[in-house]
Amino acid sequence: MNNEANLMSIAEKLVDYGKSKSIDEIQVSIANEDEFTVEVRNGEIERLTESVSKGVSIKLILDKRVAIASTSDFDEETLKFLVDDAIERAKLSNQDEFAGLPDEFYDTSQEIDLEIYDPLLEEVSPETKINIAKETELICLSDERIKLSEGSFFESGVGEVYIANSKGFSGYFKSSSCSSGVYLHSADDNNSYEEGWWTNSINFAGLSKPEEVAKIAIDRVTRLINARKIETQKVPVIFERPMTSMLLGFLASCLNGHSIYMNQSFLAGKLGQKIAGENINIQDNGLIKGAIGSRPFDREGVPTRRLTLVENGFLNSYILDTYSSRKLGLKSTGHASGVTNFYLANGNSSPEEIIKSTQKGLLLTRTIGQGTNPTTGDLSRGAFGLWIENGEIAYPVAEITISGNLSDILNNIEMVGNDLIFDRSITGPTLKVSEMTVAGL
Amino acid sequence: MVKIEEKYFFDKIRLTEEEMSRLLSIALEKGGEFSELFIEYRFNNSVTIEEDIVKSSSRTISLGAGIRVINGEQTGYAFTNDLSFERLKKVALTAGSIAKSGTSNPIANLTKPVFQNQYYTYDNLVTELNLDKKISLVRSAYDSALNYDKRIVKVSSTLADEVQFVLICNSFGKYVTDIRPQTRLMVVSTAQENQNRDTGFHNSGGRVGVDFFETEKKPEEIGRLASEEAINLLSAGDSPAGEMTVVLGGGESGVLIHEAVGHPLEADGAWKKTSIMSDKLGEMVANPKVTIYDDATIPKYRGSLNIDDEGTETEPVLLIENGKLVAYMNDLLSSKILNHKPNGHGRRESYRFSPIPRMNNTVLEKGDSSPDDIIKSVKKGFYAKSFQGGMVNSTGKFTFSVNLGYLIEDGKLTKPVKNATLIGSNFEILQNIDMIGNDTGFFLGTCGKDGQSVPVTCGTPTVRISKMTVGGKL
Repeated sequence: MNNEANLMSIAEKLVDYGKSKSIDEIQVSIANEDEFTVEVRNGEIERLTESVSKGVSIKLILDKRVAIASTSDFDEETLKFLVDDAIERAKLSNQDEFAGLPDEFYDTSQEIDLEIYDPLLEEVSPETKINIAKETELICLSDERIKLSEGSFFESGVGEVYIANSKGFSGYFKSSSCSSGVYLHSADDNNSYEEGWWTNSINFAGLSKPEEVAKIAIDRVTRLINARKIETQKVPVIFERPMTSMLLGFLASCLNGHSIYMNQSFLAGKLGQKIAGENINIQDNGLIKGAIGSRPFDREGVPTRRLTLVENGFLNSYILDTYSSRKLGLKSTGHASGVTNFYLANGNSSPEEIIKSTQKGLLLTRTIGQGTNPTTGDLSRGAFGLWIENGEIAYPVAEITISGNLSDILNNIEMVGNDLIFDRSITGPTLKVSEMTVAGL
Repeated sequence: MVKIEEKYFFDKIRLTEEEMSRLLSIALEKGGEFSELFIEYRFNNSVTIEEDIVKSSSRTISLGAGIRVINGEQTGYAFTNDLSFERLKKVALTAGSIAKSGTSNPIANLTKPVFQNQYYTYDNLVTELNLDKKISLVRSAYDSALNYDKRIVKVSSTLADEVQFVLICNSFGKYVTDIRPQTRLMVVSTAQENQNRDTGFHNSGGRVGVDFFETEKKPEEIGRLASEEAINLLSAGDSPAGEMTVVLGGGESGVLIHEAVGHPLEADGAWKKTSIMSDKLGEMVANPKVTIYDDATIPKYRGSLNIDDEGTETEPVLLIENGKLVAYMNDLLSSKILNHKPNGHGRRESYRFSPIPRMNNTVLEKGDSSPDDIIKSVKKGFYAKSFQGGMVNSTGKFTFSVNLGYLIEDGKLTKPVKNATLIGSNFEILQNIDMIGNDTGFFLGTCGKDGQSVPVTCGTPTVRISKMTVGGKL
């Protein structure tokens, strides 16, 4: 992948073309991606996909009226047509005093290397990638408790982002990512169970080894064997690390500026207020070197940062782009492209201590379905997990649901684990919530 | 129809048929059995009114091509946005590298079969409507939603329209094109009373023309229904928790059929034996009252297709007949491996994906009970009215998330309740469907599978499920 100069000049030329049409502001961004995916099942390649693709997005503002356009057709005629068409469409939008490009941009003269691009990844041969997927699955299939493989995979991608706008900003960055994982079935006389695990990283060298991925996947699927359905009751619920990610993903959607100004979040109007227990600290940090969610700036060219969202339970900031920040009388937090590395900070209990502290409760290991309502904070999902009795794992449970309200959950986190790692862009340690409804029989 | 093709499509595709044939041959140079070229050109438009103003409108033009090679059970796929012959040649070689025998396979001459299917209209295309006219549709829905009740504090109303052009040719000699319109008008309303707030949603559309919003579903009604749901949710309490009798309201409950029956009957799960329904053809898998089919030929429906994304003509496909499993939904690959007939279910989100078996319009056939009688038959239970969506895993556990429901007490709907997840195992639920209504209704959905989203609908009458776990609060 190497057409840096060319794509930047397409973006800049399009900005110039827009400016020649006497509009107020224009922003052009181009994404360029090379992707490779192999899916393996029962030791053979099932599907191999390779692609080179690019797309351009245009936003223009005319007299405080906005229109947007995008295309994967880089034909010059198409690009000019889209600008001309957007100008005509913008005239039919209403004036919006909050519309416009950002006031401040990423300082390209002070560039910092976030280490989000691994040149070595582009050197890894397809055979090596295929073998990683095959090896991971093979280890799993050699365990007799594994009844079926749904398949293993290896994915890698290199992406470039180019942004140019009429305020003179031109920015570029390149990033890479790779991931590999496997999905398995185990079974008992009555039921089958589905689980898996995957590793991901910016760097090829940062991926967990096939044997580690296989071991976690095998453990996750076999520990559900002989799962029971339990009586409906209220109990403490322990969120395993991936489940903390699920919970935080829901929270991130409730902190989104658009949901806030549209009153579609239970956190609207709560800035500066206490929304969680004192033991809760949540940040979004786009500047962690080598982390999967890091990037220098968002799609408006606004720099990312280390942002404290919740500090000792107090709501310190929302997740804002330029428009939503102006609507709320605040400043953009550099989140026009969404969250970066969004995490709940470590507490000091080990996961083992958290389980030991629980007389009776649910260790939540997987949820399925939607069941999240940002407006109310209500959460209700299908659930799988391990039942805890007297501080020990007693037996697996399946086909149950958990339900609660995110506000109540955040205020009733009894224990915060010390096992945070940045293996996902939304992440956090093991958490223990004092009480939720678990529905079964 | 010719007019549209010329206007949008063919001047973009500068490849000659001979070049397409050559690409299909190049793709088989390494010994693959089957090659296919899929070219897509798509217009997507949308315009939104939010907080009383047209905040923005958008237009997207997508252009791309994918080449697929099948060898045994293996698939090679590559795609690009660059439709030059030179670039596509590389793409063909990349896709073809899945095969290793080195013996080049011949391809058949391209022929253009004339297909009869015509399930959408090109009259009054929403995509061709002037933006100011689109804005007035969006405005009508917006105003109706906002004026429904003083407690409605925020509304957003969006019209999204699309025309997708596809050209599919393959090494068996098939060469087909299709032009697919799609439109959706959706409203999100948020109601607030003191500290209590909630959000309602409604949408309607399909492969329809502008007249749909004049005759079949007025924008005002879409707006009103979104706000009505938001207001009902304001006074709704917590859903109950535990096992109980569940009545699913007609229409939106189609999510249940989609998750519990539809996905397990997609034939990729059957040939890979990852589906709980694999190897069950000819067996009783549901209560004898249950008959389910998937029909892509319902005119103008959101999930309807003339041909699927592999060029197979669509047809109504009976899946479960009086409880007995009679067919899966097949694509070309699954048909080949299972030795079944392809039946028009090979779909893909776009040129970026290789096709897989998917649903179109999945329907639970009407029964003979009136919806009232079904509700009357329940002494104590849960009535599900509107849904957020559902999910199933391959071991047959599925959920669906209820936005708004009602308690059933002594055969009557009483207290409104909200936010419950229903969970079950598909064989159990298919047995436990013991009353089926004589009403009908459809749910407009976007279904996600293997990272690909496609438009679908699912239809169902009112249904009683004798026992199911309701995941509300204690």
